[in-house]
Amino acid sequence: MANSVKESQEPKSYYQGGLHLLQKELMTEYFDQMTRAAEGAGPPAVYLLISGNPVELIRAFDLLPVFPEINALQIAVKHQSLPFIQKAEEVGYSTDNCAYVKADVGLWYQGGQAPMAKVPKPDLLLTNYVGCNVYLHWWEHLRDLSHAPIFDIDIPFIRTADGEPREEDITYVVRQLEELIPVFENISGKKFDPDKLAQVMEYSKETGELWAQIKRMTVNRPSPFDAYFDAVTMMGPLYTLRGTIEGRDFFREVLKMVEETRRQGQGPLPEEKFRLVVEGPPPWPNLRIFRDMFARWGAVFVASSYSTVGGLWEFGFSHDPSDPLRSVAMHMLKWNLTNRNFLQRYQQLKSYVDEWGADGLVIHSVKSCRLFSAGQGDMREYFARQVGVPTLLVESDLEDPRYFSKAQMRTRIDAFMESLEHHKLVGSGR
Amino acid sequence: MRFMAGVDVGSTQTKAVLVDEEANIISSTLVDTGSNVVRAAEQAFAEAMVRAGLERNDIDYIIGTGYGRFNVTFGNDQITEISCHAKGITHMNPNVRTVIDIGGQDAKAIHVDATGDVKDFVMNDKCAAGTGRFLGNSAEVLNLELDEIGPKSLEATNPVRLSTVCTVFVESDIMSHLALGRSVENILGGVHRAVAARVVALARRVGIEEIVALTGGVARNVGMVHALEEHLGVKIFVAPNAHFIGALGAALFARERALALK
Repeated sequence: MANSVKESQEPKSYYQGGLHLLQKELMTEYFDQMTRAAEGAGPPAVYLLISGNPVELIRAFDLLPVFPEINALQIAVKHQSLPFIQKAEEVGYSTDNCAYVKADVGLWYQGGQAPMAKVPKPDLLLTNYVGCNVYLHWWEHLRDLSHAPIFDIDIPFIRTADGEPREEDITYVVRQLEELIPVFENISGKKFDPDKLAQVMEYSKETGELWAQIKRMTVNRPSPFDAYFDAVTMMGPLYTLRGTIEGRDFFREVLKMVEETRRQGQGPLPEEKFRLVVEGPPPWPNLRIFRDMFARWGAVFVASSYSTVGGLWEFGFSHDPSDPLRSVAMHMLKWNLTNRNFLQRYQQLKSYVDEWGADGLVIHSVKSCRLFSAGQGDMREYFARQVGVPTLLVESDLEDPRYFSKAQMRTRIDAFMESLEHHKLVGSGR
Repeated sequence: MRFMAGVDVGSTQTKAVLVDEEANIISSTLVDTGSNVVRAAEQAFAEAMVRAGLERNDIDYIIGTGYGRFNVTFGNDQITEISCHAKGITHMNPNVRTVIDIGGQDAKAIHVDATGDVKDFVMNDKCAAGTGRFLGNSAEVLNLELDEIGPKSLEATNPVRLSTVCTVFVESDIMSHLALGRSVENILGGVHRAVAARVVALARRVGIEEIVALTGGVARNVGMVHALEEHLGVKIFVAPNAHFIGALGAALFARERALALK
């Protein structure tokens, strides 16, 4: 493609900026903690999943939360996921298996040495999300490999019409969290301290509220940051450092930065020509290429459902220091995207389209996660035909670079943007 | 009189169309894309000029389209083949609402309005099932030329049922039918039906609204047109220049842009 035109021109953008540098500093420290723990000089490690994660309880015992999903995506962002995936395929995992799982299992077989850290072995495997049966097996495989104890928290799916969990479901989860406490006492060697938990909950509450304020800022025109490509930068600290003073301070700082950008009427691109909503996880192995495919059209993502997999603070959730276990249970049951039913997911996307004033919806479907992607074909039709929002469905993967075809992706995105541009020109846009 | 060009660099063939200010088609050419994509684009464009008796200076505006659109290095702009097929087909028949385009390695369905505006589109994912390549591989296994398989498929009396739509595995599937003594005509009947089923499933996702048009290289295959009509239960519009619709659309966009600059 040496002779090709335009394609090679990088679009001008200001993604991330100061908040990215701040995040990098914090995450580097977090990864260093992991490395120290892996070398025997750190607190015991608890593996847990992102969806509605109860990181507060882990922080209350000064344990180290380790998110294998974050490790996997970090490896992918650094373009190093394929050898790990292939290692897992060598030991027998199918090409169709979730590539987060494969990258993580491959990492295990390579001694836990990831590009950004050495990952400590688990002292406890906490299954805090049961909506994905593949994930349950992932944790079982990690147990078989590491011989660490496993603790399953069974969280019922939301299955009521109004989206409210039933009271008995809440009690059911709270009881399990009560059973978890002695397990944490055991591996940490520390007695449960309610005051410490209340303090963690205070930090967490403020962090969630700051995050909600930040997320709401993207209703502005122009949006001061990209709710996909910049939001994912903030998601690391949101999960790994929630409930700590460092985490809270990070979000205080970010809010200030975002406020300032908004005050100056700036955004991630020189000119915001299109406002888009996005559903689905990003293609981590090709994040920048994917981002630039939108940037060159002046398209900014003003809302993303993916940034709510860990929690739905922007829709009114807040951790409650006065009733910690119940509020953690509510977070796990009700206030995260992945435990919600499909109609609620539609509703959430629709509110983004309406309230955030979007020109279109992009669905990035991932081969790895059939659970997340199931129903996205219907979702496309619902939004394109019934809601009447131009909707594009593209497919690649969140971890496996082999599923990303640059030319095919570009053609689909360019065609979609061409038609949005045409709608704008002829005035039939929303 | 001034002229504008559209160059459609597809995975298999590269097409060029020249139009004049009044949107009349002046010439159309077709070359194999091969491995040197830039040269294929240049060659198709050069031949189109020769055929029209024009020179480079007569051409005001050039738009590249297709997978190799960024290799049309002499072009002014690039526009995707989705927009171009919608534009081109509306020029040939403004009543078309659904465009099915089957190219060498992709298949797409486009819902268009009367102005040629793309309302919605879907494309096959990263898999060549239901594309021209599937037909090409089938022809190769049967030792036939590509333009022979369509007419032969129409002679099928009892088309076979293929167990796959995979472009790679279709070869062994065909071999097994040959081993069972099924006729070449019946095997080809099955091949065309398999592609039709796959493409129609794709098209239903944007909604089938008449008139339905078939564009792209595969539109020259009468067997494919027949199989699609049978599967959809509607008559399909095939423009005489169906193969050139993408390049035509690009040339029409070039014309609009050139006139807007005046």
